Amino acid sequence: MAQTQLAILLTSAALVVIGLYSAIFIDNIIKKIIGISFIEEGANLFIVAIGYKPGGVVPILMPGMDTSWFAANAAYPLPFGLVLTSIVIGASTLAVMLALVMVLYRRYGTLSTSVMLADTSKQEEYDE
Amino acid sequence: MNELIPLMVIVPLMAALLISAFSKFNKATKIFAFVVALCLPIIPIASHYGLHYFGGYAPIMDNVTNVMYHPAITYSFTFLQQIFIAMLGLLTFLVVFIYLTKYKKVSGPYLFLLFLGTAAVTAMLLTDDIFHMFVFFEILALAQVGIVAASSIDYSYEMALKYMILGSIGSPMMLLGIGFLLALTGSVNVTDIAAAVHNGLVDATSPVFLLSLGLIFFGWLYASGLPPFHTIKSGIYSKAEPHGAALLQSFTVVSMISIVLIMFRIYSTLPIFEVLVVFFSILAMILGVSLALTQTDFRRMIGFLAVGELGFIGLGIGLGTQYAVTAGLFQALNEIIITALLFIGFGAIVNATDEVDTRKLGGLLAYHPKVSIMLLIAGLAMAGVPPLSGFQSKLMLVQASLNCGFPEISILAIMVSIATFVVFVKTYYTMFLKPKPRELELEKKEVPRTMIFAMGILLIIVILLGIFPDIVTAGISNFVGGIL
Repeated sequence: MAQTQLAILLTSAALVVIGLYSAIFIDNIIKKIIGISFIEEGANLFIVAIGYKPGGVVPILMPGMDTSWFAANAAYPLPFGLVLTSIVIGASTLAVMLALVMVLYRRYGTLSTSVMLADTSKQEEYDE
Repeated sequence: MNELIPLMVIVPLMAALLISAFSKFNKATKIFAFVVALCLPIIPIASHYGLHYFGGYAPIMDNVTNVMYHPAITYSFTFLQQIFIAMLGLLTFLVVFIYLTKYKKVSGPYLFLLFLGTAAVTAMLLTDDIFHMFVFFEILALAQVGIVAASSIDYSYEMALKYMILGSIGSPMMLLGIGFLLALTGSVNVTDIAAAVHNGLVDATSPVFLLSLGLIFFGWLYASGLPPFHTIKSGIYSKAEPHGAALLQSFTVVSMISIVLIMFRIYSTLPIFEVLVVFFSILAMILGVSLALTQTDFRRMIGFLAVGELGFIGLGIGLGTQYAVTAGLFQALNEIIITALLFIGFGAIVNATDEVDTRKLGGLLAYHPKVSIMLLIAGLAMAGVPPLSGFQSKLMLVQASLNCGFPEISILAIMVSIATFVVFVKTYYTMFLKPKPRELELEKKEVPRTMIFAMGILLIIVILLGIFPDIVTAGISNFVGGIL
């Protein structure tokens, strides 16, 4: 495994762990959402790292290129395509979450999750 | 006509976009939504079984490894997909019909969400591509959140945000799991991944493979509403409009079986996979029915009973034999119909009384006899009383656990069914048979006819499947034989 690839994988692991910590333990909803974005980006970075090829070329077959050389040296394009889709979905999810937070902020006047979601939590505690 | 296979997704998706864009033309929107909804159950029935390769890229033989691989996103359409998509289409039609007749001015965004959710689960069920499944899994989560947020019930925004936060943790976990599978096999096609695993090209005991199972399994628990996500799942049902909840629970069931069937094809060589599925399913059965017993809000009570029923589905699939998986899938089909019937029926009661607390209701049998009788039959079907459809699938599940050498699971399944019966009868007595409280006003309010019509259609299916279960179990069994 190339050093660059290892560095990318470690960074993605760090993003996921930091994201999980803030999504679970931090009370401020905006920070929670930033944490969620960290998890998503960590997952995306991990998939990008899979497609990385040390010394590889961009996977676009140009006129005059030898196809067997291209097949041996081009980076694997599938992960990049997947990540592109994943980024779009992540952005949509983020937009919806922030829209809900805006509505709830107007209603409660706070960004504290324990205040905003208190009534639903009480219901769940009762259920437990 | 294999060309109809992608149309099962494209039609509701395009309809969703068009309705959203042109919703200011109220009458045209209503007619268009009705026609499209009517087409949804017809398309899968008219379509032939087969495969559809997007872009026309058929599978290619790799000359080095002598293995076929799939370069295109592939949709696979068999009897299983046909019956589930047709049922989902019928349910969407009934829900859209109820919605269109309930309001004079319809909401374009709400109809958009109903059709978007239907398109997403249909794609999840059809696809043979795990990343494609993930994309629609995310779209489905957005549609579910929207349907909950769009309701006028108190705390619907809070519940929607909570569901979204949990989903935003569950989804990247699933994406990471898919990433691990991609790293191991170089493909996201389920057939290719399963072939690589079964041909020994992937070490099934490697930590990376096991980690991918754990991560995708976590995403599946979220999608299915199995523990630890059971309270949030029943919560979103209770915060949606009753007809919306009927559709939401069908989305949950279909996404649950879509993901578990993909996992089953990839991880069936690992004994831990089946143990995990059975463990969480049993947990869901016990928790679902116990929590349902404590509820006074009947929407939440049905939500928890639905979670318990999901456990039965998982149990069948976790046992892993052809008969058991068939029983699990038949149970899934029954749950979609029965729970939708219950949600619509209790929705009719909300409509007539503006009350959801069972302690404040009573004497409804005299005022709404049609709804009362249909709800009673639906509840008995859910509890597994013969000769209704729920009885047939639960009997199959009990027999399957006995055949697999787990009599204790059979006993547990019977006990949970009895507990479901007790929960339902207790609620039914309180709402329909007990004398009417003085403060409850009932005389002037009527149940919409469309709701009674929808309940009638679903009830006919419940009775038909109870008397003639072979019309679906034979086809499902053939499908299961194919994947085993």
